[in-house]
Amino acid sequence: MNTQLPFIIPILVSALATFLVRILPYYVTFLDRLPPFLSRSLRLLPIAALGPLIFPGVIVDFPNRWYAGLVAVMVSSLIAYRRNGMIIPILSSILVTYLLLL
Amino acid sequence: MKAEQQLTFRQGCIEGSPIFVGYFPTAMAFGLVCRDLGLRIWEAVLFSVTNFAGSGQFLAASLIRSGSILLEIFISVLLVNLRYSFMGAELSRKLEKGIGGIARVLLAHGTTDEVFSVAVLHRLPITKPYLAGLELTAYLGWVSGTAVGFLVGMVLPSALQMAVGVTLYAMFSSLLAQEFRQKGLNVLIIALISASLNSFLILVLKWGVGYSFVLSMLTASFLGAWFITEEEYRA
Repeated sequence: MNTQLPFIIPILVSALATFLVRILPYYVTFLDRLPPFLSRSLRLLPIAALGPLIFPGVIVDFPNRWYAGLVAVMVSSLIAYRRNGMIIPILSSILVTYLLLL
Repeated sequence: MKAEQQLTFRQGCIEGSPIFVGYFPTAMAFGLVCRDLGLRIWEAVLFSVTNFAGSGQFLAASLIRSGSILLEIFISVLLVNLRYSFMGAELSRKLEKGIGGIARVLLAHGTTDEVFSVAVLHRLPITKPYLAGLELTAYLGWVSGTAVGFLVGMVLPSALQMAVGVTLYAMFSSLLAQEFRQKGLNVLIIALISASLNSFLILVLKWGVGYSFVLSMLTASFLGAWFITEEEYRA
């Protein structure tokens, strides 16, 4: 934690970024004419985002038991791979982490 | 206008109800994350009201936790949500003409992956009431789920609270597993590239989390677009 801003500021900054990309296509048309390589890259962004959202955070966030988070996400991935929905994988991983941190 | 009366507000609400059901538990997870971050309940709800974007919100929460600066949050969220621009471009082509002002702004705010994929299935021009019903139903699921998740977090036993820190990662890894199942091995390769690069930048080069995230994500996307030549992906 560096400077501790009131939470409302980053929340609104995030909202602004989200709103801009949503309203943009209603006012411009160049989005339909992007080169194929570029538009393919842009469509891959959400997938490419998932890797850095998990690593290295999942390991460094649990300094006492570095493997706790890792085991937990392996459990949630396995469950999520087999069935739709998020809540069971998430609850299972919380339980696993809890047991590993005991 | 008369010819397109099939797509009513009611129809939108009906088609939005499965989205409500899907959003609610995911938003509950987000509510839990917010509580874990130290937000108050109105801040968590405001988060969902003003952002209404699953992965964007989880990303922003994760960056707030790591103490990222505002510019890093802005750029990262913008890039993760850039797909909404492409969805909006397609939606706006199919939308009935003559919607402007506040209505247009509100309808744009309701663009999400799920709303988009339901709405574009129609061959009729998409009407304002229909899209409003569809988006509103999804929106209510997302916002109410956030509040309920936050409240559930308040009654969790304190021993469990520590473990809740894993929620974000469980969420992202579940998303990844589901993408992998639907779209195949390329998903894992791209995620592996971005995860490795991000770990290297942060742990070895001691970069800030936000910029490291942006560079890793962009690099993996470009590499992915380069080695995936077919039209394998529908965002």
